[in-house]
Parts: sequence; C-alpha cells; structure tokens
Amino acid sequence: MIRLIVSMARSLKIWVRLSASVVLLTAALTACAPDSSVPLVEARAQEINKSLMCPVCPGESIDQSQHPRADAMRGVVDEKIEDGWTDDEIRRFFVERYGPSVLLDPPREGAVWLVWAVPPVILLAAGLGLYLVLRFAVRSAGRSRGEREEYLTDRERGEYYERIEEMIGLDGGTQPRSKSAVDTLNVDEAGESVAR
Amino acid sequence: MLVDAGVVALFVAFVVGGYVMAASFLGARLQAPALVLSARYGMMTVPALLLTSTLALVYAFVTDDFSVRYVAENSSRALPNAYTWVALYAGNAGSLLFIAMVYSILSVAAVVGLSRSLPYTAPYATSVMALVLTFFLGVIIFLANPLERLPLTPVDGQGINPLLIHFGMFIHPPMQMMGLISVAIPFAIAIGALLAGRGGRDEWVDQGRLWGMVSWLILTIGLLLGAWWAYTILGWGGYWAWDPVENSALMPWLAMTAFVHSIMVQKRRGMFRMWNIVLVSVAFVLAEMGMFINRGGPVPSVHSFAQSTMGWVFLGFMACTLLASLAAFTWRADTLKSREAVESMLSRESALLTQNVLFLAVAFITLWGTIYPVFSEAASDVVITVGRPFFDRVNGPILLVLVFLMGVGPLLPWRRANARNVLGILRWPLAGAGLTAIVLAVLGVREPLALLAVAVCVVTFVGVGREWLRGSRTRHERGESYPLAFIRLLGANRPRYGGYVVHLGIAVLAIGVIGSSFYAVQRDFNMSLGDAASLAGYDFAYVNAASRTFSDRIETTARFDVSRGGSSVGTMDARRTFYVDHGVAATRAAIRSTPIEDFYIVPSEFTRSGDAVFRVYVNPVVWWMWAAGPLFVLGAVLALSPRRRSPPVSLPLPKGVRRAGL
Repeated sequence: MIRLIVSMARSLKIWVRLSASVVLLTAALTACAPDSSVPLVEARAQEINKSLMCPVCPGESIDQSQHPRADAMRGVVDEKIEDGWTDDEIRRFFVERYGPSVLLDPPREGAVWLVWAVPPVILLAAGLGLYLVLRFAVRSAGRSRGEREEYLTDRERGEYYERIEEMIGLDGGTQPRSKSAVDTLNVDEAGESVAR
Repeated sequence: MLVDAGVVALFVAFVVGGYVMAASFLGARLQAPALVLSARYGMMTVPALLLTSTLALVYAFVTDDFSVRYVAENSSRALPNAYTWVALYAGNAGSLLFIAMVYSILSVAAVVGLSRSLPYTAPYATSVMALVLTFFLGVIIFLANPLERLPLTPVDGQGINPLLIHFGMFIHPPMQMMGLISVAIPFAIAIGALLAGRGGRDEWVDQGRLWGMVSWLILTIGLLLGAWWAYTILGWGGYWAWDPVENSALMPWLAMTAFVHSIMVQKRRGMFRMWNIVLVSVAFVLAEMGMFINRGGPVPSVHSFAQSTMGWVFLGFMACTLLASLAAFTWRADTLKSREAVESMLSRESALLTQNVLFLAVAFITLWGTIYPVFSEAASDVVITVGRPFFDRVNGPILLVLVFLMGVGPLLPWRRANARNVLGILRWPLAGAGLTAIVLAVLGVREPLALLAVAVCVVTFVGVGREWLRGSRTRHERGESYPLAFIRLLGANRPRYGGYVVHLGIAVLAIGVIGSSFYAVQRDFNMSLGDAASLAGYDFAYVNAASRTFSDRIETTARFDVSRGGSSVGTMDARRTFYVDHGVAATRAAIRSTPIEDFYIVPSEFTRSGDAVFRVYVNPVVWWMWAAGPLFVLGAVLALSPRRRSPPVSLPLPKGVRRAGL
C-alpha cells in the first residue's frame, strides 16, 4: 500500500514537472507580441460588432448580418472608435438606443443575472449528483464484495482473457489460452487491478 | 384528381395509425397474437399511403396547380421543377407531411427488425411508434393540410424564399427533420421494453443501440450539412452561431450521444437500465422541443413561441410525452434494478456516466439559454438576447472536458482501476498531448487556450492510434501482414473500433472548430475594379465584374486573381444575387479551401461602376470540419455492421407471441 502511494507520488511528480514546464514555456511564448495583419482599430471594431445584435434580423450580430441597418450600425461603431470612445461607452450608446436586447451577451446585472447563475448551478448539481451516485454504488459494491476486493477468481480471470482475445479477434475460449497474445497486449497496463 | 386521392390516403393513414396503436397494445396485453399481427401489417401499409399523399403534392407542384394553398404559397411558375423537392418542405404543412412520410418508412424498417428479435417488446414499441405517427397525421389533417384547396385559384404562386435556392437545401433540411423524428424510434423501443416489463428490460438493448446510432448519425449529418450551408451561403465566414434553431437541433443530438454510450454499459454489465430509458426519453422530449421551436412558424428567433397555434400543439405533445414516459417509468421501475453496480470511481462505467451527465448538462444549459429570453420577457418585460458569447463561454469548457473524456474513457478498464495503472495507461496519450503543445508553441501558436484544446484532441489521436497499433502488432506476430492485421482487427470488434473511428472524427472536427475560432482573420476592403489588396499572406486583385439579369434575379459576379506568397493560386468568383420580387439578396462566397486554411471572399452591395465592399476571411483548418463527416459515416457503419460470427441465440418465447411472431 505504502509502496503504491510512493510510486504514485513519484509518477505524479514527473507529471507535475512536465506540465509545469509546458505551462512556463507557453507563458514565455505568449509574452511575445502577436503579429497580425489586421489593424488594431479594425480588430476592435470587429470585436464590438460581434457583440451587438442586428435589431431587424434577430439572431445575427451586426458583424455577420448583410442587412443595410447592420451596415449603418457598423459605420457608427467605426465613427465612435475614431472619436475615441471606449468599447463600453459604445455598447452603452447602443443599449440606450435599442434597449438591452441589442447586446448578444446578456448583461450581468439586474434580474438578468439569473441567466448566468443557472449554468454553474446545473453543473454543480450534476457533479454533486454524479459523485453521490457513484459513491453510493461503489460502497454497496464494495460491501457485497467484502474481503476479496483486490483479487479475482479464476473464472473472472478467464473471462477477462477471453474478452481481450475477442477484442483483437483471436479464437479465444476453445483453444488453450495463449498467454503470449495477452502479454503482448500489455495487460498489466490496461487491466492490472483486475488481473493482479 | 390525384390531389383528392392524396387527401383520402392521408385520412386512411390516420385511421390505420390509430388502429395500430390500439391493436398492438391490446394484443400484447391480452395475449392476442392475431391482433398484434394485424397491427403489424397495418403499420406496413402506412408508408404506401403517405407516399401517395406526398406524390399528390409533388404532382400539384409540377403541374403548377395553384388551387392547392400550399403550392400557391411555396411555388411559382418561374420556379424550376428541380426545386419542387425543396418547396415540398419549405413550409409548415409540407414539411410535416414529409416528416410523417419519412418516419413511417423508418418505423416499418424498425418494426420488421423488432418483431424478428424482440418478442416481448415489439408489440408495445409498435404501438408507441403508431402513437407518434397518429399525432403527426392528426396535426396534418386538422391543422396544416398541405393538400387543402383555396376557394379561388390564383394566377401565379408566391415562390419560395430565395435563401432556400441552394443545393445545400436539397439535403440539409430533410436530413435535419429526419434526424429529429428518428429519435422517436429508439424512444419507442425503450418505452416498449419498459411496458413489456421483465421480458423487455434487457431484450431491447441491441435494437435500441442500433436505432440510437442510426438516429445519431442522421442528426450528425444534418448538423454538419447545416454548418456547411451557413458557411458557404450566409456569407459571414462562420458556421455555427448558437441560434435558437441551431440549438434546437443540437440538444437532442447531445442527449442521443449520451444514450448511445450508456446503452453499452447495459449491454456489457446489465447496469444503467433506468438511466438508459431516461436518457432516450430526454432525447425525444428535446427533439420535440426542437420541432416546437421550428414549427412555431418561420423562426427568426425564439420570440415566435406564442405566435402560432401549431407550436403550442407540439408543446402539448411534448408535455404528454413527458408525463406518459414518467408514468410508464413509475409503473415499471421495479423491474429495472441493476444486475451489478459501479465498482470504482475510476472505471469505464464511471467515465461513461460522467460523460452522460456532462452531455445532459450541456443540453440543459443550452435549453436554458435558448428559452431564457422568453421567460425574461414574460416575467419582467425585459427583452434581452442570449447569444453566441454566452454559449461559447458556458458550453465551451464543458465540451473541452468531454473531448478529453473521449480520449481517456475508452482506455480505462471496465469495473475498476487504480490511480497507478490509470497513469500507466494515460502515459503515452498525455505525453503526446504535451509534446504537441510544445511543438505548436515553438511553431508560433500563442493562445494558451488553443494550445490546451489542441492538446486535448491529441489525447484521442494517440490513444486510438496506440490501441490500433498494439492490436495489429499482436495479430502481425501471428503471421499476418500489417495492413491485413489492421483490417481484421477492425472487423473483429466492430462496435469498439467503429466507435474509435467516430471518436477520431470528433477530434478532427474539434481541431477545425478550435483553429477557426481562435485564428480566423477577417477584414473589410472597399475596392474598385482594378484594385489589389492583401491579407494574411494572400494577395488578391479585383479584375472583373459581370452582371447578368434573369427573369427573377440579377447576379453580379466579381472575379479575383489570387496569389499566395507570390505564386498564383488562380481566379476566384464571388457572387451576389438580388431577387427582385422578394427584395432579398443572397451571396455565394468565393472559397478556396485547403487543409491548412480557407481563403474566403464575400461581396456586399455593388455600385453601378462595380465598386463594392468585400469582406475577406482567412479561416484556418475549417476544412477539417467537413473531413469529419465521412469519418462519422464510416465509423457508424462499421460499428453497426453485423458481426461475422454471431452465436446462435435462443430466447424462450411466450406462447402467444411465438405463433404471431412468424
């Protein structure tokens, strides 16, 4: 048991190191300036356009819509950027004119926060439910299995080998079991706890 | 004349549907084989009847019979006959008839298979299928009859929406409708098994899986074709916008994906009996939800919820489905105890259950975002929009976790594993993922999220590749050449290796989505004839503009000479078509697609001299998304193809059913 924990810790350490170095490397590379063929101002305008809905063609942002109204709104966005407005000021300008539904991203204030609050709740509830169900199932399975938790009967081991042979399409069952086929499949990795 | 025959056929089909529903159920309850058999034969007549009605409608279209209201509303003399097929499902009434027709054919195919192999379940499942069919026929006859006559015959029809005049429209909408309705078949099989009690509880697994996969495949192809249509014709360089209608097609797909996985656990281990029935019922309810959102009339947004009575009929049917499955479930729940339990938190079973739960979570979050604006407006008069950023942000991370599970799950052993051997199993896939991330980072991919996402996809590639390699090697050592060993390996366990092919397809699709979401470049160019510009390594010159006038439309085509890195890649034509009668314009983007990136030009309005604003996109790896389609088909067909050696199965048949069962 202790050996197991030690070896687990050891392999975990390798993983931690490896992933840490990946993260560091990534961070270092991300720090480089991005080269882009789109001028910053235009990229900003696109970002804003993608967050505003075209009021006459529901479901489409003004960036994607080909309606003249969307075209006009894109023009307004460009103008405001030239006049030095910030992104938020521009969005607020449109909200004052068209109401909050012009924002494709629902605002995170007022009664509307509910739309943002529910997904994490769904996810948490699902996670908790899943954990409890698995927990309960594992416990009851463990209780019925009792002491022989880590061991297999010969019958179970036989079934396991049969499955592997069936999986790779060899004739299992009737022939004397081929140990070599099973060995080359590295059973010790795929099913060690079962076959131990 | 033929139109009248079509109406009669509709009525007969409706009556037969009602009879099948009642006779099949009663026959099974009362052990009356003759009744069950009569119901089955009744079911088999329905496709012929509905084909007659459909044919009548097609005939009315082809002969420009504008006395039929639906024809007058969806066709015109100018409409080429090839578009009769599109016009057939362009409107509400016609699409319902189309759905009913396709569904009747699918259900007869299912009933034939069921009655051969599932003696307990088949009669009940047939009854449920007939129930759904009868509902549709009732709606068609009483609320939206496509063969209804107008009191006065107009001189010409109104024509169809020009956006539908595109060859993507020939397969995407019917595929999508077929996908939504096909969910009813695994649902009917599951409920049939539930009603059959103890005899049905494990009997339905193979057929349920088969039809679940069929339905999944149809839904998948429909979604992919829809994305492709949006990409090529809507002219915004994207393919998915989390629009309510798109969501309504995605939700049943999510639940169906969960189902085709969890049904394997029941097949293998006799577990999840209740859960599978719940999943397939949820999938069907979500499919009905999809029809409700679509059938609420032409749906630009969710706001058409309350505007059409048709939508409410579907909502009512959805509520009935929910209540009825719940009732059946409560009635029969005692027969559904699991044979075995999940033994470990770390096992194939628990990974599959986690996958199921996450898929359902995405489905319900999507449902929430889709219908929230309706609640908000009703409750507080605040009109808001829940758009793409919301769904991207909320669903994106969960979907990424699901892709990771897809890579890891199939490698975990059934029953139980421990932390150490899990690390052993995942050593190579994770190392491959890390290595890919490093290489990409060195090559200049700077977005941490994109790196993470691609690395997660690589887990699947390495995992599947290694399984294939190991299996092939083992066979190779027994004297088979590698290609032969690989093919025989795939054939030996088709459900497993077919599933792997689908998984590869998903990973390939994910790569396409990741690349195009993080690295698409877009810019507007105001160009006159003769101008040249460049974007992201592409140089393009606007060399020609040509206008052609047709009876119903004006087409303007702009021609570009395009070169990349100095070497020419040829000319590209971007077109804008203005439909005079409808006052609507449609674009056809010029797309040069390679596995590395798409170069995409879409024109906006042209001035008389040919000046126009062109929006130009460079979308990396979008091509991969479309490449995933064939992989899905290949994998699903492989997974469903019958095994070479199937052991003889002898089931104890109850007396009555044996006599009826042929």
